[in-house]
Amino acid sequence: MPEFLEITVDKFIFRIAAGRLYSSEGVWAKQEGNLVRIGLSDFVQQRSGDVAFAEIKPAGTRLAFGDEVAVIETIKVNIGLGSPVSGEIVVTNPDMELAPEAINQDPYGDGWLAVIKASDWIADSDRLMHPEAYLERVRIEAQREIG
Amino acid sequence: MSESVKEVFPKKVVIVPCSGIGKTYGTVSREAAYLVTEEVRPEETQLVALSMLVLGDPQARADVAANPAVTIDGCKLACATKMVQESGGTVAQDFDVLDVYRRYRQFKPQGIAELNESGLQLAGALAEEVARVVDQVLTAGQDRGGSDG
Repeated sequence: MPEFLEITVDKFIFRIAAGRLYSSEGVWAKQEGNLVRIGLSDFVQQRSGDVAFAEIKPAGTRLAFGDEVAVIETIKVNIGLGSPVSGEIVVTNPDMELAPEAINQDPYGDGWLAVIKASDWIADSDRLMHPEAYLERVRIEAQREIG
Repeated sequence: MSESVKEVFPKKVVIVPCSGIGKTYGTVSREAAYLVTEEVRPEETQLVALSMLVLGDPQARADVAANPAVTIDGCKLACATKMVQESGGTVAQDFDVLDVYRRYRQFKPQGIAELNESGLQLAGALAEEVARVVDQVLTAGQDRGGSDG
């Protein structure tokens, strides 16, 4: 399987990383043992614009599925991001305080947001989309926005 | 100061803002540039339109080649900075509006054709930062001219 799925809509190219699951609002979740790393999808970061600030709930915060885990302020919008996994935040990306542009530059790599110790990953993962399904969602949303 | 020194050391700093139309941060960059060149440091600075550099306008290219430039970019593409460099100019300092906003979070810019009050305040704060750089550039030039002359 390729590292990324890719879709072109109008002049925009959106990449969907393989090996992750996606929430409907475009937060990805990647299982790493009993931990789950989360971040923002390429589609959402492109649609939202340059990130000015990223405020992530601190380590130790307990989250239910869908609880707000971070707020992203971009040039265009403020977005509250729901957690795609229930559990406890173990660590947040320290670069987000001074260099949140990493979300734009490398959304699936250096732009990760947090690592969460999942409390019920099996149940949570059933509520998330596989990359192929998320790609279809991106296609529909992008075409709707671009017209 | 001799005539040769006057020719070598700049009297002016050119200000080159983003030309992004329809972008809030681009508008902030232009508002800041207007403030600097028309109100804050009108005698010490000169506005050069990025579009003229893109078109290869001889006068615009000559202005950036002969004077140090301060560029104000509206996004990470940094078109103003790149175009000054490609035009043979020297960028004394480049500003990125997003980075400036991070220092003045209380001034959230909104609007495109017309900025909101916070956007205008951000442009004002940016203009003051640019003015300080202009002063440093010109002072450094004078210091070098004094020691040489």
